[in-house]
Amino acid sequence: MPQPLQTGIGVQYYTTKLSTYDEMQTVQGQLLPHWQRVMEALDRIGSVGLERRRQEALRILQETGVTYNVYGNTSDTIRAWELDPIPLVISSEEWGNIEVGLKQRARLLDLVLADIYGPQTLIKEGLIPFELVYAHNGFARSSRNTYSEKHNHLVLYSTNLARGPDGQMWVIDDRTQAPSGAGYALENRTVMARIFPSLFRDAHVHRLATFFRGLRAELASLAQHNKEDPHIVVLTPGPLHETYFEHAYLAAYLGYTLAQGDDLTVRDNKVWLKSIEGLQQVDVILRRVDDSFCDPLELRADSRLGIAGLMEAVRTNNVAIVNPVGSSVLENPALFAFLPAISRHLLGEDLKLPSVATWWCGQKKEMAFVLQNLDKMVIKPINRVPGNAHSIFGSALSKEGMEKLKAQIVAKPYMYVGQQHVSFSTAPSLVEGQIEPRHAVIRTFAVSRNKNYNIMPGGLTRIARAKDSYDISYQTGGVSKDTWVIASEPEEHVSLWLKPRRDQLIQPISGALPSRSADNLFWVGRYAERIEGAARLFRSVLQKLRESREIKDPNDRVCLYHLLRALTHVTGAYPGFTGKNGRKRLQNPREELLALARDADRPGSIAYTLNSFKRSAFTVRDLWSLDTWRMVDEIQSEWRSAVMERKVGIETLHNSLDDLIMNLVAFSGFTMESMVREPGWVLLDTGRRLERALHSIALLRSTLVPRHAAAVESQVLESTLSTMESVITFRRRYRAYMQLTTVLELLLMDEKHPRALAYQLHQLNEHVTALPLETPNVHMSEGQRISLEAYTKLRLADTVELVYSKANDGIYSNLDNLLSDISDLLWRLSDSITQTYFSHIQSSNLQITAPIEEEV
Amino acid sequence: MNYRIVHITEYEYSGMVGLCHNEARLKPRSLPHQTCLNSNVTISPKPVDYLERIDFFGNTVSYFSVQQSHEKLTITATSEVSISPERDLFDSGNNQSWEEVVNWLKVDRSGDFLEILQYTIDSPMAESTEELHKYALESFKPGTALIDAVNDLMCRIYQDFTYDPGFTTIATPLSDVLEHRRGVCQDFAHLAIACIRSLGLAARYVSGYIETLPPPGKEKLVGTDASHAWFSVYFPDTGWLDFDPTNNQMPMDKHITVAWGRDFNDVTPLKGIAFGGGQHKLYVSVDVSSL
Repeated sequence: MPQPLQTGIGVQYYTTKLSTYDEMQTVQGQLLPHWQRVMEALDRIGSVGLERRRQEALRILQETGVTYNVYGNTSDTIRAWELDPIPLVISSEEWGNIEVGLKQRARLLDLVLADIYGPQTLIKEGLIPFELVYAHNGFARSSRNTYSEKHNHLVLYSTNLARGPDGQMWVIDDRTQAPSGAGYALENRTVMARIFPSLFRDAHVHRLATFFRGLRAELASLAQHNKEDPHIVVLTPGPLHETYFEHAYLAAYLGYTLAQGDDLTVRDNKVWLKSIEGLQQVDVILRRVDDSFCDPLELRADSRLGIAGLMEAVRTNNVAIVNPVGSSVLENPALFAFLPAISRHLLGEDLKLPSVATWWCGQKKEMAFVLQNLDKMVIKPINRVPGNAHSIFGSALSKEGMEKLKAQIVAKPYMYVGQQHVSFSTAPSLVEGQIEPRHAVIRTFAVSRNKNYNIMPGGLTRIARAKDSYDISYQTGGVSKDTWVIASEPEEHVSLWLKPRRDQLIQPISGALPSRSADNLFWVGRYAERIEGAARLFRSVLQKLRESREIKDPNDRVCLYHLLRALTHVTGAYPGFTGKNGRKRLQNPREELLALARDADRPGSIAYTLNSFKRSAFTVRDLWSLDTWRMVDEIQSEWRSAVMERKVGIETLHNSLDDLIMNLVAFSGFTMESMVREPGWVLLDTGRRLERALHSIALLRSTLVPRHAAAVESQVLESTLSTMESVITFRRRYRAYMQLTTVLELLLMDEKHPRALAYQLHQLNEHVTALPLETPNVHMSEGQRISLEAYTKLRLADTVELVYSKANDGIYSNLDNLLSDISDLLWRLSDSITQTYFSHIQSSNLQITAPIEEEV
Repeated sequence: MNYRIVHITEYEYSGMVGLCHNEARLKPRSLPHQTCLNSNVTISPKPVDYLERIDFFGNTVSYFSVQQSHEKLTITATSEVSISPERDLFDSGNNQSWEEVVNWLKVDRSGDFLEILQYTIDSPMAESTEELHKYALESFKPGTALIDAVNDLMCRIYQDFTYDPGFTTIATPLSDVLEHRRGVCQDFAHLAIACIRSLGLAARYVSGYIETLPPPGKEKLVGTDASHAWFSVYFPDTGWLDFDPTNNQMPMDKHITVAWGRDFNDVTPLKGIAFGGGQHKLYVSVDVSSL
């Protein structure tokens, strides 16, 4: 029995438009039975509790790094994902019907796809007008007869469903080439289970894991070779793509390698991953790159997102691509008009899920109808064009606009459809602490399995931000919801893990680290260390600045100037405190120091390097654990909110630097403690050691190499020790005797001291030896030779000799020469690593389309 | 008439190319009036794989990839073709008015209708516009026989447009060609195709060669030192008839057909993606001699 609503979260004021169907309540304002339990629980939580949970969800999503990139806005393109804490609830019975309808539609579209790229009987028999295929930009002529008959072609299939005023679910869109959203749905679910643990458990919500298990099994079954343990990659257009988060998330969740087009290459008609251990064959590609961008040789020549030669590899059956190239031919609204007849013809069944009423203008009568009713119609081109502006609402047009549109339709009628302007149902949503109706669309997901389809129970619901709006697109600010299909009984937990057969030995996959990821890990290490080094020196500078103000000892000032100049050398933010105007800035360092902290456009500044750090880390998003990523995010966002977005003075900067250093140390800790010592970690740490070594050298050369008066020297030594986190150790070891040679013993030569140069060189030497070589060689690699040379040079040095000098020398030239030699070697080492492990990517930056001779 | 065609394409790079993938449509088709006696594509340096297939439009495509470092890539296609001039262009049905043919195309769904209909709609490089439609209508007066109308269109293009190899590139849009009345064979063929399609008729793009040295006493034709292109229109009963707007003539036995498609994009003689290489230069030579 529907119950009247009696709640304290504003549901009593929940009013819907009478003409629109509401998901939660009947026209009489009665709660629908399947909402009962959920709404009762939400009511108990109350408006304040709900708002708190919304915030909590936002926090989790942000920390997890769930984002959606918005095109066309250069300054702030990454938008945090928004989740409404009130789920869309659907009863098991209703979902059962939807599921049957979706399965039928998936099977039907799969048959249509097979026919379009095969015999084209449907066209020949008049069930599909030829223009729908031949004039559609998704029709990939290269794919003709390349589809294998062994399995379904439409592996992943997605729809947008909306409920009309009559309560019936309608398909408003089909997504067939690289449907997005399944990963976001999964992430939404994870968050919901965390913010409503008991409600989620008690409500008996159908679980999503089965869907992903099906996907994994299906993809594995498509491999032509290595069937036991196929190598599967997720092909992403890269970090700038709107749903890049999801690509990385799914790759990590499913255990696949995340690759960009440049990471893959076609040789011998096979697809290979360019990994740091050489080329590794790829068996299945789960693509998130659009059809026409997949192969610059046969498809769009200007594509930089695809793999040249891919189509030929597909044709020779050496790789499977999901969904197959050309499947976007089904993303054509005009097909809606013909599906009912095709369904009867192919399946002998009526369509169980209707599509939005659609009239294809390529037919005389239909075009006349559309033109007559233009003001009540949505006009769409049959081709999906990028952006949101491809649907034209007749009602919104001026008289001239209407005439222009009519002329366009008449000129090429087969390129347009008219669709009924549907209104979607509303679903209860939390808006400013109250529950309000918002129009909603559900994105559903199907994956093929054994010639049939598995449907994800639920999906990704999107609601419009504003009341009465139908705009649910993320690009323009829609909000998402979890979708709960309520089971009558609790479901068993389904794990994504597979159980091997008793006799099956599972070989670990390792080394499938794309060169690009390796490159980025190396730089993550370097940037993290670069920031930390700069922050530590910065802190010493601030300390000295304060002392020189308080004590007014001229020696303090001299020491301060040395440190300020060191800061310029270490950060590389020239001219800074050096050069012509350096003197002036030394006397009044405030402005320059603030710029070094917060000016994101200034190369070398902390803000600038933090951006580079985040960017590199984001590109290998799939390789971080949740905690590590949270740290990455926090490092940058804390600095942003504490220093960049606020007016801070030099005085308060000290605390922020403390926090920054703590965060960076925590990040290092996570990588030390939770990353496997595989080449990826080795490169990350190599980057870190290399940077720390270079940083120490730059610091020592600008502080210890110049000779100072005795009074200044002890101050400079102390500041240097403090910057290199070594004061306590030094004091314990050498008591109060501050002397250049002993300082050098500790900071240069001590292999057991993680801040000493010797330690870095020793580690580098080990790392370089641990890195894989494409051709194993009895001789040392170039990198090994260089790092050994640097290490040996330092070990053979004698601190007494290093500080030997004649009376009128301004610097300790032996020390300077040693440091400068080692620095040169380290730069060479960096080049050598780049050459050996990352050069694949660099050469592919030079992809050129051979000039085409003109026919004359 | 028998011909030997030697078509050499050379890419020269300023740096090393480590890998390239290529697709060539250089092997002449065999047709009722044209027999391809033999055809060979040789590539230097030697590719690791060379595969041939028939593409969507029935053309032979050679796919190959060179995986060794190279600074120069040479592709040589050598073919021998025999062409018979006896074709009756004036079969029954050629007196049909163009409007009758338009209607016929709308109704008849028998046989290989898809093979024909696909050439009635826009393609990326030959998109019909209002301006082109207007230009076409001057030749397509009500009731005109299709053959006369197409001949007239070809003739007008020949007269109205200046052959100017420096003016256009592969990317020049048809609107520019129409506005400046300049172009090369490729532009003229695209222009004619878009005009004819704007009326609802079927037209396709043909790529091929014409004889390099004219018979004694005859003038050398334009387009002899490179691949040439013209267009073809579908006539019910007769089938496809070719028209060369660059030379204002209907090809008989001097034109060698290599490939056809909706437009140049579908039949590009040679295209490729190379990795590395830096600056590149392209050299092409075509030699067609009668045997």
